[in-house]
Amino acid sequence: MTGRRAKGSLESEVLAALWAAGRPLTPAEVMIAVDSDLAYTTVQTILTRLHVKGAVERARTGRAHAYTPVLDDAGLAAERMRGVLDKGGDRAAVLARFLGSLSAEDEATLTELLESHRDRGSQ
Amino acid sequence: MTGLWLYLPLLLSGFFGGVAPAISRRLPPHVGTPLLSVGGLLAALGAATSLALVAFDFLAQTPGLAQQAGWSDDALRQHDPITEPIGPLALLAVLAIVARVARAATGRVLAVHDAHRLAAVLPGSAELSVVASGETQALAVPGRPGRIVVTTGLLRRLDPGERRALLAHERAHLAHRHHLHQAAARIAVAANPLLRSLPAAVALGCERWADEDAARSGRRETVAAALVTAAQGLRPAGSSVLLAAAGGDVAARLSALRSPAPRMSVWRLAVLAAIPAAVVIAVAVAMHDTERLFELAQRAYRAGRR
Repeated sequence: MTGRRAKGSLESEVLAALWAAGRPLTPAEVMIAVDSDLAYTTVQTILTRLHVKGAVERARTGRAHAYTPVLDDAGLAAERMRGVLDKGGDRAAVLARFLGSLSAEDEATLTELLESHRDRGSQ
Repeated sequence: MTGLWLYLPLLLSGFFGGVAPAISRRLPPHVGTPLLSVGGLLAALGAATSLALVAFDFLAQTPGLAQQAGWSDDALRQHDPITEPIGPLALLAVLAIVARVARAATGRVLAVHDAHRLAAVLPGSAELSVVASGETQALAVPGRPGRIVVTTGLLRRLDPGERRALLAHERAHLAHRHHLHQAAARIAVAANPLLRSLPAAVALGCERWADEDAARSGRRETVAAALVTAAQGLRPAGSSVLLAAAGGDVAARLSALRSPAPRMSVWRLAVLAAIPAAVVIAVAVAMHDTERLFELAQRAYRAGRR
């Protein structure tokens, strides 16, 4: 990974890490959760920017701030996403889903992969 | 004058629909996919234009109309390269194509409009909008700017590298405007049912393109791992129920990610580009021939009045 990534993509990574953690994180913890070569000051700058945007809340814990993602109208967003996806085929096709549906062939490949993964893990 | 140039676009576009998806899959997806979508659209519109020329030749032979326009319908009938029953059939086909393309294009415009509205109202002002949901889903929503939507259910399952791969994948969809490639494929198929293999091939091409983009800034295995984790989440835990059998392409993406990135092949590129180019040339020749046919008919009309 290079350090020259766009501002927006770093913001997304930090935000995704905060959401994945499910608890408040300090900048040092975010560094670990993002698992890249970002400098502490870079992480802090990104967190401050996200705070200004209202995407995260912060609370003081000891010497540092701990950051939590804001769950404003996320329920509404889920509803809207469902709404668009449920319109089905033609309308929803404009949204690129990471995964569509799985075919029987996909299922078989996945099962095979997961098993080989498990084998490697147990060795 | 010969009718070959009029039929060639139809034959070639059918040929394109048959061979292009397989050839494109063996090219780097950022090269193969645009050749499919843009090439398919050109082939479809070219074939439609040649049908329109046939239909026009047929209409122009209507005696009243021919006199109004100042050309001899006898001369047209005599030199028209098209045999009898084809003209009316071509006219019907052209009408059907116009209706189908209009419907498909309207559908695409509305869908993109919907997506732009969704991108604008998603919570937050950052690129990433997180949806609190146990589902494992990620979407790229085209807009100004485009947004990435990921559910908390999916984010929690992924490790840091996989999250980065997922975000890079979705970002690639937005950056390369993949929704426009898919729209082109759908309009092509509306104009020419012989290209019915295109939408699925372009959809897979776009996913592969985004996977390769994500793999460039990380590792191929990480992208594959993110895909596997996300796919696992689609299955209800402990259930052996197979999910919808339609449109699955996860297996194809995984096997591509487990091999090295496809290498550029000049001859595959040349074949894919040559078919639509040949369609365009054939249409140009047919237009030129048609023009000469009508010049002939005009001269015959003037000679007849003298």
